[in-house]
Amino acid sequence: MNAKPPILAIWMLENLTLGKCNEALAGDLLEEFRCGRSALWYWRQVLATMIIGSFREIISRRTVLIFAVFWSMLSPAWVLIVANLEKHFNFNDRVLQMEWPWNAFCDIGLLLAANLIFIWVGILLYLIAHSWIAGNFKPRVLSRGIVASVPIIIAIWVALLIFPQRFLQSQRVVQPAVISLHSYALTGMAPPRFAQIPAEMHTPYNNPRHAISNTGSAALLVRLPFFLCVLYALWGASHWKSEHKRSVNC
Amino acid sequence: MTERTYLGEFELMILLAVIQLGEEAYGVPISREIERQRGREVSVGSVYAALERLEAKGLISSSLGDPTPERGGKAKRFFRITKAGLSQVHETRRVLSKLWQNLPELKGGRA
Repeated sequence: MNAKPPILAIWMLENLTLGKCNEALAGDLLEEFRCGRSALWYWRQVLATMIIGSFREIISRRTVLIFAVFWSMLSPAWVLIVANLEKHFNFNDRVLQMEWPWNAFCDIGLLLAANLIFIWVGILLYLIAHSWIAGNFKPRVLSRGIVASVPIIIAIWVALLIFPQRFLQSQRVVQPAVISLHSYALTGMAPPRFAQIPAEMHTPYNNPRHAISNTGSAALLVRLPFFLCVLYALWGASHWKSEHKRSVNC
Repeated sequence: MTERTYLGEFELMILLAVIQLGEEAYGVPISREIERQRGREVSVGSVYAALERLEAKGLISSSLGDPTPERGGKAKRFFRITKAGLSQVHETRRVLSKLWQNLPELKGGRA
């Protein structure tokens, strides 16, 4: 009889299971396994624990999930506002006139600022509302969420750049979307490729309400980075709060 | 006013198992006891999920034991019923006993 359970199952139990009592639970499963339970039984237990743990975490953080969906639904309206500001102040031409790499730095900086403002305002609103209802406000939680949003949005951009064709399509739907088109200069794509898109498709929405109500797949792709950023940042913050509460209780 | 919590079937089973096991109530014997009574496999994860719910409701309390080598150096988490938990079990028994009165007998496998 094997004295050691499947290594992958042990790793999954220790690293992918959410919730409290993981150590005690892992010890219990090991004890049962050493009493003659099969590897299949061990796998079943690990998978059931992971599913139950994930479900419980989602339920316990449902307000975060609902808020992230709500806030990301508003993101096309913000994108439209930024696009109008960009047009009004003629940022695109100004950036294009700069020398490389300053144009790229400037472009990415403006882009980061525009997207992060929306994400950070969302995080701030949620935490203020939460602290107002729960009666506490923790600056550390806020700073954690803010810091967490920066690497994740960069990671999502990189992921989206891997699928530029699909992303260009989303640019047509909620132009100019999450990544400014000049950023594609880094990958040798737009603006020349963007120029191939018919002009009437460049600005399909002038009304933010229409942009918000658009639920097409490309529009959902535009909302995805905002959704993931807000969710990740607030999820981490609420996780910290629950862990802190547990340690206080212990 | 006292807050009234309602116990689910599984939660009640766990509470009763914790009472029966006394000082030795941790994940393995609790799961085995429930498995023995129900006659089918129980997920230890679901037992822990219910134990955590009961602990959050204040019906049980838990404490960590010493780590042991046969458990890979992992400590046991012992559970004990609280006064509120015991009173909840009594209350549930009182209510269920009343509801079970006049329960029709099974005749030929059908009520």
